[in-house]
Amino acid sequence: MISTLGLYRPRDTPLHRAPAWFKVSLLVATTIVVLVSSDIVTSLGIMCAALLLLVSTVPPAKVTLWTIAGTVLIALLSSALFMWRGDWLRAADVVADLVAIVSLALAVSTSTSMAAMLDFIATLARPIRAILPPDTLGLMFALMLRALPEVAQIYAESRQAARARGLDRSLRAVLFPTTTRTVGFALDLGQAIHARGIGEESDATHEARSKRERRRAKKAEKTAKRLRGRGRRRGPAVTQQAPPDSGDSPADSAPEGATGEDTMTKEEAFERLLGPQSSDK
Amino acid sequence: MIEFKGASVIAPDTGVTILEPTTLTLTERHVSIVGANGGGKSTLVRLINGLIPPTTGSIEVDGLDVAKHGAEVRRRVGFLFTDPSAQLIMPTAVEDVMLSLRRSIKNKDARTRAALDALEEIGLGDRADVSVSALSGGQRQLLAMAGVLAVTPTTLIADEPTTLLDLRWRAHVGSLLRSLPVQLIECTHDLDSASRAERTLVVDSGNVVFDGAPAESIKFYRDLMFGRTTRADSQ
Repeated sequence: MISTLGLYRPRDTPLHRAPAWFKVSLLVATTIVVLVSSDIVTSLGIMCAALLLLVSTVPPAKVTLWTIAGTVLIALLSSALFMWRGDWLRAADVVADLVAIVSLALAVSTSTSMAAMLDFIATLARPIRAILPPDTLGLMFALMLRALPEVAQIYAESRQAARARGLDRSLRAVLFPTTTRTVGFALDLGQAIHARGIGEESDATHEARSKRERRRAKKAEKTAKRLRGRGRRRGPAVTQQAPPDSGDSPADSAPEGATGEDTMTKEEAFERLLGPQSSDK
Repeated sequence: MIEFKGASVIAPDTGVTILEPTTLTLTERHVSIVGANGGGKSTLVRLINGLIPPTTGSIEVDGLDVAKHGAEVRRRVGFLFTDPSAQLIMPTAVEDVMLSLRRSIKNKDARTRAALDALEEIGLGDRADVSVSALSGGQRQLLAMAGVLAVTPTTLIADEPTTLLDLRWRAHVGSLLRSLPVQLIECTHDLDSASRAERTLVVDSGNVVFDGAPAESIKFYRDLMFGRTTRADSQ
């Protein structure tokens, strides 16, 4: 099976030296330009440039040639309608566009290591680091790429096994073992990741951040409590200044020195109500 | 030092006891574990680095409770699986070792150098940039080993590491494992390899039924498998 995964070969070419962000941006920009432009000269020019860039990265010959041949075939099929109508320029434009995009994608794959790509993804994911640690996202991406050839191999083996049992046409005989073995592979992979301690740093960072946030909330709560205490001494108006999101601890829901229901503000009532649930954050 | 303190494992969904309460102290440099398939060998060793939590009791590695200090324990205890394919994540050999080093070496160039050194040490220096899928089974197992050893663990658990290998790779991986400067806990069906340990445990039906010198343990295991003895005759 020809796979374009693991195409990267470390070499000293200009594209290899270029940062991952530049290459991915170039790929995105080129894709947009070739899709928007319907000028055959522009498309052919971009295709030639993309092919030259691909050649400059010295890619593995067999995989590259098969991939380009497959792309040309798909492109010819896609442009069949234009050819049937006699719109040869448009048909050539479609072929050139697809070859350009695939060539450039291959050039990026050949010249960018997975580690560099993971770093780039991690950088991209920084704005959402509060929701998902960037390293975890990078790992997810790597695992997705890792799983593709494995699942394809499991499927091929399941088909062979079904054939050997004379169940060529049974969908069930192929899908069931494929599914169960894929799940098994995922579980094994998960255990291996756990055993290698990969991702635990992200968890630790995430946990540390949560701890920091809890500490901060507690501090804010203490300050609010102090303010409430002063407010009670001065008058009920100040008590209202307590932050509404400060009900983390059940102990906090019972205001110090509270002597009766008349001193309880609306926020405090909510805190008392929500206290036990929110305490285990 | 690895200590099992009454550690047992019960399947949460079925309630079946997978490992009976076990108390053991493993201090030897090479401990082998033999037993029939499904006997509980893998469960026993997976407890050591927290891949499976004990239902009762506890496990300590160098005084660290695995349940409380899982991440710290996994830094000290490496794990080598039977099927290396499930252990390799990245597309090329060098990238896979680099992934193991992400936590310990932040600088990318230093990480690459360390990964290349680790591959060179294990004899895969010339395969560093080769796709993982293009490696043979033996080379994959070596690569998995390089990924584990790159983070310099003090203990290595090998769960049937040579089962899927041919005779040549079996001998090579086996001798490499035994030459490592770490405590080796090896689950195996290869009695020749088991006999080279300092201590051998026989695990059957979720129990450590024999614990002793390799020659005696292997004799007991053979007798047990061929019905010449029963678990009741164990130590």
